[in-house]
Amino acid sequence: MSGQSDDTTSPTSQLSSHVFFDLLDSAIADIASECHRIAWLELDRNLEEEEAEMKLSEEARERVADRTNLAESNNNKYVIDIFGNTHPTVANDTFKCMNCDRLIAAGRFAPHLEKCMGKGRKARLKTTRSSTAAATQNLQSRSGSQMFPLYSPQIGSGTVSRSSNGRIAGSGTTGD
Amino acid sequence: MRRTSINRPPTPDPEESEIREPPSLQDLVNIKLLESGEKERLKELLRERLIECGWRDEMKALCRSYARKKGRNNVTVDDLIHVITPKGRASIPDPIKAELLRKIRSFLVATAL
Repeated sequence: MSGQSDDTTSPTSQLSSHVFFDLLDSAIADIASECHRIAWLELDRNLEEEEAEMKLSEEARERVADRTNLAESNNNKYVIDIFGNTHPTVANDTFKCMNCDRLIAAGRFAPHLEKCMGKGRKARLKTTRSSTAAATQNLQSRSGSQMFPLYSPQIGSGTVSRSSNGRIAGSGTTGD
Repeated sequence: MRRTSINRPPTPDPEESEIREPPSLQDLVNIKLLESGEKERLKELLRERLIECGWRDEMKALCRSYARKKGRNNVTVDDLIHVITPKGRASIPDPIKAELLRKIRSFLVATAL
């Protein structure tokens, strides 16, 4: 590479190493600071709900997969209609949520939309959700985060005045 | 009264800091890096690489689970730094480390240190 000795304790290597770890410490402090803020301002509530949401979604899909195999021998668990069709308890088609761009099982769609589009109290922290979601989705598709500015003014305008201590920014992404 | 969750070291007293030792080699390097703007560029590069490879998300997940265990309003910035640092330093992917070290090295050589 640079023609320096391969000895890792050469002054240049030591210096380089030192500089590198310095940069790394900066990056770590950066992350710690951001997570500290998120923890105290409770900006990750929606993330927890989404994680729970995804688990329920998957469980529902598994149940459906199991049940279609056992449909005929299942006497009590299904309503059999006059044509002999059975309906799975949870609809197994998946649809893409227009708000957060995730695939959600049809049977879980309504509860998901409630949380996602903000009927509930917890979902009201929508501006912060859009900044958290935009940050986590940053990697996956930059264009995806373009959607949020469309939603946040409607939902967010009510939120900003209601934020717990007025320190949550109006809209837009955090400086990620 | 909440205990402070961000502990800043106290600002050094001007009188005490007048008696200063001559800058070490590390300090000189640092100054050169800062003045030339190279430190900023390297920081940005490192940040970008760490995001791309998912390292940042892993660290954030660690923080979240720690905060969940310890209680949201009980975490300090120092706590989080201590939580992340060992795992963080160990889980840097080698190519990223190599790339950064290469760049730092060539900077050092170029500025004839």
